[in-house]
Amino acid sequence: MSPKPFIVDADVHHVPRSAGELDMYLPEAWRKSPKGGPGHGYVNPVGVMRRDAIPPNGGSPGSDPETLVRQLLDEFDISYGILNSPGFIGVSAMPNPHLAAALASAHNDWMIDKWLSYDRRLLGAIVVGNQNASLAAKEIERLANHPKLVQVIMSGASQEAYGRARYWEIFEAAEHHGLPVAVHPGSEGAGITAAPSAVGYPGSYLEWHTMLPQTFMTHLVSMVCEGVFERFPKLRFVFVEGGFGWLPHLMWRLDKNYKALRSQAPWLKRMPSEYILDHCLLTSQPIEEPEDPKHLMAMLDMIDAKRTLMFSSDYPHWDFDSPMHAFPKLPEELHRRIFGETARELYNLSDLEEAEGGADQEAAQS
Amino acid sequence: MRRYIVGATKEIPPGKSKIVNVGNRSIGVYNIKGEYFAIKNVCPHQQAPLCLGEVTGMMLPCRPGEFIYGRDGEIVRCPWHGWEFDIKTGRSVFNPHRVRVRSYEVTVESGGGVGSAGRSESNGSNSRDESSGGSQVGDAQPDSMLEPEDPSVETYEVTVEEEMVVLHL
Repeated sequence: MSPKPFIVDADVHHVPRSAGELDMYLPEAWRKSPKGGPGHGYVNPVGVMRRDAIPPNGGSPGSDPETLVRQLLDEFDISYGILNSPGFIGVSAMPNPHLAAALASAHNDWMIDKWLSYDRRLLGAIVVGNQNASLAAKEIERLANHPKLVQVIMSGASQEAYGRARYWEIFEAAEHHGLPVAVHPGSEGAGITAAPSAVGYPGSYLEWHTMLPQTFMTHLVSMVCEGVFERFPKLRFVFVEGGFGWLPHLMWRLDKNYKALRSQAPWLKRMPSEYILDHCLLTSQPIEEPEDPKHLMAMLDMIDAKRTLMFSSDYPHWDFDSPMHAFPKLPEELHRRIFGETARELYNLSDLEEAEGGADQEAAQS
Repeated sequence: MRRYIVGATKEIPPGKSKIVNVGNRSIGVYNIKGEYFAIKNVCPHQQAPLCLGEVTGMMLPCRPGEFIYGRDGEIVRCPWHGWEFDIKTGRSVFNPHRVRVRSYEVTVESGGGVGSAGRSESNGSNSRDESSGGSQVGDAQPDSMLEPEDPSVETYEVTVEEEMVVLHL
């Protein structure tokens, strides 16, 4: 019998059943505040949630741990799912950094209590607001040692590109604790964040969603050129839910420009694309779907997908990718890397498995 | 290895360069603080005339947020696409191990030895200081050729003090 496949879903979403569910985790001062970031105003005509993911006892998809575990982890035999909270990532769009930090903390504590304790396969990302890097770093310090919190997450939406020094305290804290930093879209154009495209506000969700990688591209170029990966050589950065087809173009263009314009980033010691491939990862959903699957395979080759790409489903969102059917048939090694091994390395999941194995044995002996 | 006279040292003072044609090759000869270096006048990227590019310095290794300029006068920047090359080695700045332009040996030799030999032939005028192009010389002629032919004529000792820049290909 072949060993059980090791699958990690690098982007799973959970929401509270009601706004009040977080109240007990919030300081009294903030309990009457809205429990999430401001909206961007773009309406998805098909809804942002899978209708088949509504829990049997009602409520929003993603609000019931039993349904999520059964419908995602059990059904697809997923070894670990990483909870990235889309609603609370949006706190970065709030004008008040203190409220944003309080909401992020409340979310993180609620996630630990309600979700991470529910099933050993659920792992969490520490949500931080990006308005004030010191507050974000404090939150990372507070939670970094929790064994099931495996990364820091913040919104793709921000006031400036992430290479700027105002964000470095976040990277410093994450690097210090060996936690990757992930960004996830969803608030682009909302609240105090920059416009969702370089030419302002597109006219529909269709356009808005299609152009989300533009924000990621700006962040990535900024981080490489401003020296983030020189300053924080152990930092790993994860671009969640932004696709990957744009990356070859960006690497080639940046490398080409660097050859002439390196005097503006003299601290770089290697070609920009080398920093990108060594420090950055991307998650697969929503996977690009060219007519000819060969084109996707070529793209995977161009981004060295065996070390940069991690499978994600985006459960329970409308554009969920099934681990069974999202990809064309992949060579075995590439399949293993994308579906689990790269995530296992990035998030030190072997350590977690070992610790859990030890715990199980102890439990069995007692 | 053949030797070609590029010109008199005074023709290429420190900070100056001269482009010479040797056969069908175009070569830039540079004087950097009294030392001479030569590189092929063809950028390996898209074959641009590299030695028509600006001679400059470069940003040196530093920490993020620092800018340390140095090696002024030792770097040539291709007029197309802006790639930088170390004039002393021909190596590119952005990828010194894999991207480089051919460099050649240059020596300075006393004019007594080489200046009287061969025939100068102007070969174009691409040089930065607008002097004439380089000239090819053959092997140095035997000393006997320089002996006075008629001992009855009063002779005086003549020396050529000028030094010549010589390219070795």
